[in-house]
Amino acid sequence: MALNAYTRRFPALEILNEEQLEQIHQGMLRVLWTTGVHMEHRGALETLERNGCVVDYDDWRVRFPPGLVEECIRRCPSSFQVKTRDPSRSVTLGGNGLHVLPFPGHHTIDLDTYEPRVPTRKEFYDGVKVLDALPSVHGLWSYTPYFGFEGVPPSMCLLESMAGKIRNSGKFLTEGYSKGSEEFCIRMAQAVDAELCVPCLLSPPLTYYGDAIGAALHGADAGFPVRISEGAVYGGTAPASIAGALVSACANLVAPVVLLQVHKPGTRIFLHDFTFPQNMTTGAPGFGNIAIGLHAAAFNQIFRRYGIPIGNGAAVPASKRIDFQSGYERAINATIFALSGANFILMHGGVAAELTHHPLQAILDDDICGMLGRFLEGIDVSEDSLAVDLIEEVGPVPGHFLNKKHTRQWWKHEQNHPHAADKLTYPEWEKVGRKGCMDYAKERLEDILTNYAPPPLTASQEEEIERILEEARAYYKKEGLITSDEMAVYRQGMRSSRYPYE
Amino acid sequence: MAMKGFVRNFPPLNILSEEDIESVHRGMLRVLSTTGVRMEHKRALDVLEAAGCKVNRDTNRVCMPPALVEECIRRAPSSFPLLAKDPANSLMMGGNNLYFAPAPGQNTIDLDTFEPRPATRKEYYDAVRVLDYISTLHFFTTYTPYFGYAGVPPCMGMLESLAARLRNASKAVVVGHSHNSERFAVQIAQALGIEVMGTVTAAPPLTYFEDAIDSAFTLAEAGMAVRITGAPVMGASAPATLAGSLVSNLVEVISALVLVQTIKPGTRTMLLDFAMPMNMSTGAPAFGNVAVCIHISAFNQICRHYGIPTYNADGYPGSKRPDYQSAYEKSFRAIFTGLSGGSSRPLHGGVYGELSHSPLQAVLDDDIAGMVGRYLEGMDVNDETMALDLIEQVGPVPGHFLGLAHTRKWWKQEQYIPHSSDTLTYPEWLQSGKKSAVDYARERMESILASHKPMPLTDKQEDDLERVLEDARAHYQKAGQISSDEMTAYRAALASY
Repeated sequence: MALNAYTRRFPALEILNEEQLEQIHQGMLRVLWTTGVHMEHRGALETLERNGCVVDYDDWRVRFPPGLVEECIRRCPSSFQVKTRDPSRSVTLGGNGLHVLPFPGHHTIDLDTYEPRVPTRKEFYDGVKVLDALPSVHGLWSYTPYFGFEGVPPSMCLLESMAGKIRNSGKFLTEGYSKGSEEFCIRMAQAVDAELCVPCLLSPPLTYYGDAIGAALHGADAGFPVRISEGAVYGGTAPASIAGALVSACANLVAPVVLLQVHKPGTRIFLHDFTFPQNMTTGAPGFGNIAIGLHAAAFNQIFRRYGIPIGNGAAVPASKRIDFQSGYERAINATIFALSGANFILMHGGVAAELTHHPLQAILDDDICGMLGRFLEGIDVSEDSLAVDLIEEVGPVPGHFLNKKHTRQWWKHEQNHPHAADKLTYPEWEKVGRKGCMDYAKERLEDILTNYAPPPLTASQEEEIERILEEARAYYKKEGLITSDEMAVYRQGMRSSRYPYE
Repeated sequence: MAMKGFVRNFPPLNILSEEDIESVHRGMLRVLSTTGVRMEHKRALDVLEAAGCKVNRDTNRVCMPPALVEECIRRAPSSFPLLAKDPANSLMMGGNNLYFAPAPGQNTIDLDTFEPRPATRKEYYDAVRVLDYISTLHFFTTYTPYFGYAGVPPCMGMLESLAARLRNASKAVVVGHSHNSERFAVQIAQALGIEVMGTVTAAPPLTYFEDAIDSAFTLAEAGMAVRITGAPVMGASAPATLAGSLVSNLVEVISALVLVQTIKPGTRTMLLDFAMPMNMSTGAPAFGNVAVCIHISAFNQICRHYGIPTYNADGYPGSKRPDYQSAYEKSFRAIFTGLSGGSSRPLHGGVYGELSHSPLQAVLDDDIAGMVGRYLEGMDVNDETMALDLIEQVGPVPGHFLGLAHTRKWWKQEQYIPHSSDTLTYPEWLQSGKKSAVDYARERMESILASHKPMPLTDKQEDDLERVLEDARAHYQKAGQISSDEMTAYRAALASY
């Protein structure tokens, strides 16, 4: 059994014509062949050379012949299942399914001042619990909800984050890598009989460092799916024109696709578009900008043609608050991602850029997902839904449909039903004290934190997770990446009688 | 010269299959020919009977033969101009153009408590001035910005509204009908040498009362453009299903189109979709519901199939304040109209339902419209934008695109740069006193009010306008629709600003 994603039941939005698609494809093939990509990983270069690529070991440059590129694109499965700790929440990525995942934030925010601060362990764990409870969250992204929590040394952040997610959620998982942390993450996933999507992160333009390639190969060797993420900035690490940024994104992402498909043909891969523009006058990142939606729709169209599952990560506002601006910045781009055929979108909880996250925001975003999901279902056109007989039976005024069985049967299905939206009339709104969506979201947040229990780990799974964490702590301490002082603070945070949950 | 508006440069979103469109169309033809519509208007029944419709004079029911319906659909132009006071602001409705109008609100709101209250005459005129300034707002629809202002008797609300828009703005205007106010609106337009688009509003299900049909005759005979409004409430005055309410809405708007195209073939006609779902447990209108977006997307697709321009009237959030909820509710509507090929829709300024409007909200909405408009432009794909030589020249890290001529040339064109949004980095934001979009919008609104001077009417136009208004006041007073007390309060309101 798998978690029900949203399903798009009509053709995807397409903003490029056939000729434009061909031009971009050809541009990508040209860049991959004539300029190539910098990959700082000797094993990868050797594998690629054996498969027909032209390799320059002095500057780690690999050039990909077009025939091999196209063959490797074809080797990628267009749709695949990913196993989760809770089998009822496994996901099938690809096709016309849409999954929504949370958006990470470095810090949490104070809801009165909107100023960021480092979350506590409990806040981190509660944040995961809320994401597990929300039905429109289909999995958990890397660095979510926060980049770490108080007292955790940087080298252990990803592992503590992974442990927090495994302990408080049974949903689909992807986690980052740093200093070889992916090996410990893979073992944690195996300990709970889940699959982990290991990322391979680009350093644009056209560059992959050794850790990115190492993580991708480790993931593929473990038989796990790999996600390749592109995070170029138009005008900074990619051309300022959207078409140029697209060519560059395609070349960037397809290079490791080739590596993985020659290393282990059939590896499950999904691609993540997290590009955004920059204000070239001020240097500020253009989060919330509509150029993101143009890039994403074209990107989705290209990779739907290639048959590789794709997703868009940049439906994130520039506003620092939860306000009107953040609402339209998120809704417009997220809608475009969904309509243009994304298989996943990062959305819930991200407040400002990648810098802040809050579970209250995640609850508000659950309602946006409900709207998008209902839209994607489209319209049922059948004899019953067309209701021509009923229209004729009711006739002109004073006829009406209020008390008809057909109305009772259908009305709920045709609408979306938000949890945290103000749906009252003016007099009712006055009576309840002029409550807004933030008030309703707060009530729902408290309800989830009080009443929701994520699927628990077994005792042996708990032990195994803690054992792997201890091993990692010892490893990074030995490597000099955790000082004694840091370790003392870190241990201090583990003394609660309710450890590891508080 | 026509105001450009926004142009969609890629195929629209199609959520219905060809077979779905055929089923809805066939359902509409069946209801029109077998059940027909009720039209409380003797002259309309005469005209339609003469054109081949079957008329029952006892029930005022008219059944329309499919061939006539399809012929009248073909008679309506697929694209047409609408002249504005300033010719540079004239519109070309239809095709792949998208125009935005303000969203109406009965009242203004207090920006601290968000409570509604009637606008004053000055607030009304100021709100029109703000809307005139905003470049993503292309025309004025009915009842905008507010339904009227304090002191104006209901029967004069529409005409005072039209007068304010002609005095304080230079964009195209749509006028409603109430107590035959459309007759005075047409007189004003003719006296000033401009056009108005009038409206014909159904009373669902399947009914037109006399005033709506009067408006159809007045407008068509005066050569004005006509907007036909169906406003079904799903589950109350239309089936609760999207497909069923599409059929009934189309029956309503197309029946009036048949009348208008029979009165004067070729009349510029626009079809309006204002389907509203209802919470059937509480009876509350489900403003902000996504069912509306699905409805308009399908309606736009069918009307594109017919070749008739559209107006999606449902720009109304359920939230009572400009907050996260109202932003996503508004954004969904704006983007779905744009992507599904709608010709026009209200957006700017509407706060809750059709019940409140604020110029501050209009300034905020300018950025939603700007984003949607930029999106519809799409992207250029050519040698220069693909920048292959540049990508190859820059190569891998430490190569970068900062400081290149290509970057300087293209970056602004590819983005939409908002007017009232917080685009600062965190440190800058803290330094700025944590300003929000609402703070920026307030500053911008104040600056517009302090500096924007709309294109004035000529002295003659002003005299003509005032003369027709005085005629209307006298007419309604004589008809007993303005009492002496109301007239006293009205005159005081007129003198207040």
